[in-house]
Amino acid sequence: MTAPVLTEPDALAPAQPSLPARLLRGVLPYVLALVLAFVVAGIVIAALGYDPFQAYRTIFTTSFKTGFGFTETLTKWVPLTLLALGFTIPLAVGRFNIGGEGQLLVGATAAAGVGIVYADLPTAVLLPLVIIAGVLAGVVWAGVAAFLMGRFRVNEILSTVLLNFVSFQVLDYAATEVWSDPAAGVAATRRVGEGAELPTIGGPPGVHAGLLLAVLVTLATIVITRRTAAGFELRAAGTNPRAAGINGIRVERVAVIALIIGGALGGLAGALEVSGVHGRALEGMQSNFLLLGIIIGLIARGSALWVPVVAFGIAILEVGASSMQRTVGVPVEMVLIIEALILIFLLLSDVIAVRLARRVA
Amino acid sequence: MNEFAVLAQLTVVAMVPYLLASLGTMLGGLAGVFSVSQEGVMLLGASVGFLISYGTGSTALGIVLAAAIGAVFGFALGWATTSLRLDQFVVGLALFFAATGLAGLLYRIVIGQTASTPLVDTLPRLEIPLLKEIPVLGVALFSHNVLVYFAGLLAVALWFFLYRTRAGLNLRSVGENPKAADSLGIPVARTRLWTTTAGGALMGIAGAFLPLVYTGTFTEGIVGGRGWLAIALTFFGGWRPQYIAAGALFFATMDVVALRAEVSGIDIPSQVLLVIPYVATLIVMVFAFRWARVPEFLGRNYDRESRTG
Repeated sequence: MTAPVLTEPDALAPAQPSLPARLLRGVLPYVLALVLAFVVAGIVIAALGYDPFQAYRTIFTTSFKTGFGFTETLTKWVPLTLLALGFTIPLAVGRFNIGGEGQLLVGATAAAGVGIVYADLPTAVLLPLVIIAGVLAGVVWAGVAAFLMGRFRVNEILSTVLLNFVSFQVLDYAATEVWSDPAAGVAATRRVGEGAELPTIGGPPGVHAGLLLAVLVTLATIVITRRTAAGFELRAAGTNPRAAGINGIRVERVAVIALIIGGALGGLAGALEVSGVHGRALEGMQSNFLLLGIIIGLIARGSALWVPVVAFGIAILEVGASSMQRTVGVPVEMVLIIEALILIFLLLSDVIAVRLARRVA
Repeated sequence: MNEFAVLAQLTVVAMVPYLLASLGTMLGGLAGVFSVSQEGVMLLGASVGFLISYGTGSTALGIVLAAAIGAVFGFALGWATTSLRLDQFVVGLALFFAATGLAGLLYRIVIGQTASTPLVDTLPRLEIPLLKEIPVLGVALFSHNVLVYFAGLLAVALWFFLYRTRAGLNLRSVGENPKAADSLGIPVARTRLWTTTAGGALMGIAGAFLPLVYTGTFTEGIVGGRGWLAIALTFFGGWRPQYIAAGALFFATMDVVALRAEVSGIDIPSQVLLVIPYVATLIVMVFAFRWARVPEFLGRNYDRESRTG
């Protein structure tokens, strides 16, 4: 079973399409999708008896009104971007990494474990150790799925998803049996040592320094996927596996490596959540980052360049959502619907844009 | 009733959501459309099934509407992948998100925040006279709610339809070689549409089964990966009803074993028991993907004008 891959908008277009045709293909779908999604959701919100304009105003302004809101948005941006990249890198080879949640959780568990066991080490030693532990755990977790995929041809959608459910119990075991903190209220580990916590930049309130690391990782991903031989092999193996294979690219190996790198990013996200946000690993820390990461990756059409941008937009929506529920009363679940609608309308308007562009060109 | 009969009865009940969701997956898959939205559609079916039963007091209406909303999502998948030829996995994921969001939203709108858990009556047992008198088997097989019988009969009916009728052969040919099917006048798009729609309805019922039989209430984690396991099960069952039923028995046994071991207080951490179904599935898939065959055109969209497909 070979999965067709998302193609970037221009990949299928004629070599030199006219400017209006290019604009139609590139911009129109996004504009259409955003407008339609918010209109449809607005109608639903109005039908529920709330004021959609007030709801949207709250969603869009919360992130910018206060330093706290903006900090929260940036803090959310970190795991969202990392998980979205962890999804899009294997997607470039036509593989679906639906295991970001599990990779994040085992990464967080390993990071917290190191941070608790070696709590007395100084920051310069402990912090890198914690982050490396998280990344390695993510690598191992995705590595299981990658191994099953490469060696036994087990569908990676299934293996990565099933490992998510295993990871819940891994975290639960660590949080209730090994390093439990009974005072925490939920299943949670004890706090990591001070040396394991990321410093805060900017502020107050300020963002944890993991933001810089996430930015660096994002830049590296963009450069590697677009400007290096490895990135070329990745895209070639996804766009046309047969041609790539004939030209000496070992497609299956590329896919396995891509999935493992995706896991590393998930593990990194988990480590950063521990040492930057919670100071511990706890139940429910994965929030709905997995769904959002996939939505971001798909809205960005798998482009590493657009993932951070889309992730920022989604982070704004997410931060605005809870404030909307508090002040306007619209349930937060509405925002997940808006995000799903954006994606669905983007897919639909792609079809329309392709047909229009064909006519214009 | 001895211990074994009770365990067997529990296992048969636990088979049903797997069986229904897998048969739904299989139906669309045999026509070539691979759905990955089970987990979301089941959650939506659970939410709708519960809310309607709660609001109207009619469990039957709850099940019917859960099937209807599942059918809508199945139809959307079929339509987007035939008329629009959008990528099946991407559309499936998008529908998964939409269904997940909708399930939570509906519950929040209707129930809101409550101090006590809203409950509905679970489905009553329909004991089949005479047959239920058979020792052990009677309790295990013939003392169940109506959905259990429905799932069992459906598996048999689907097997007969797919492998013993011409219409079933035509259906399968769409998933194997749509070009050949098309050249023989079999309506490829229409076949894909009705199979995904019917498949979605089955996933909706599978979801509604959980609150209406197991818990009596809806929670966000109620599906707990059963939708994804159903996909694994469909592969494991080689996209055939009889093997899927056998696989569902395996999955259900895993569920019941994990549950029983926890209750009996064996000195194993509960976490280890809870991962049993998932780990067992991973191990089984290693073998399943080797011998199980898959519809040739699964996951790919048919384009009559394509030169390569």
